[in-house]
Amino acid sequence: MDKNSAALVKKLQSELEVYQNLQKTCMKLVKQRTLLESQLNENKCVLDELNLLAPDNKVYKLYGPVLVKQELEESRQNVGKRIEYISKELKSSTDTLESVEKDMAKHRESVQKLQQQYQVALAMK
Amino acid sequence: MASSEGTNKPEQINLANLSLEQLVQIKQEFEQEINGIQESLQTLYDCKAKYASSKEALESFQPEWNDRQVLVPLTSSMYVPGRIKDMDNFVIDVGTGYYVEKNLEGSKDYFKRRVEYVQEQIEKIEKIQIQKSRFLSAVVGVIEMKQLAAVKQMQQQQQAA
Repeated sequence: MDKNSAALVKKLQSELEVYQNLQKTCMKLVKQRTLLESQLNENKCVLDELNLLAPDNKVYKLYGPVLVKQELEESRQNVGKRIEYISKELKSSTDTLESVEKDMAKHRESVQKLQQQYQVALAMK
Repeated sequence: MASSEGTNKPEQINLANLSLEQLVQIKQEFEQEINGIQESLQTLYDCKAKYASSKEALESFQPEWNDRQVLVPLTSSMYVPGRIKDMDNFVIDVGTGYYVEKNLEGSKDYFKRRVEYVQEQIEKIEKIQIQKSRFLSAVVGVIEMKQLAAVKQMQQQQQAA
């Protein structure tokens, strides 16, 4: 029995470790996704604003400390492209997050199962 | 510390069927979420104030100010004299490094729209906040009920023993 429970503890520990690592990855991914979401939002706001402009409005872009004049149409395209790119990133980030969460649920279950087994083993002693 | 994303429909679960541990976990998650919401709200309020103050600054501009002398702050304690040359052109930071030149009316309009937009977001989030707080208090209520029941049961067992 003792040998058994020792093996159980070992298994439980390694399973717990995996779970905790997944948890860390998950938190990182959530952070990343929040960042992407806010970037997407900001870019959307900028595009809305650019779309409202008349052709004679002047548009500048900040490069370092300098404002450089831009073509309106070009700016629209650039921001549009950026939105596309960020959306793609956001999607892949969400996908990864989902799979990590699934993994986490699986490991959580097995941790719980092992804990129960361990408790049963303790009670049997 | 487990995330609740696995159970997407917390409203549809009968709270009374959950164990005390699960309820406490849910409560903690909701408290965290509500804290996050409060932080976002604060940021939004700050944002709104910033836009509103830009708008106010523009409101105080008057067309007859052309050619007036002003003192331009170089630092917070040093000024150089300047003269207003162009009353109808403002360059506005619209985000992500883009700046747009607009006339006085257009600029005012921009800030007005921004304030309204932020206000909309604030209202949306406040609604969510109210929902979550309601759910949280429901959870807390069930937890208290369960705790009370557990205490009673223990007392009965003690009396029986």
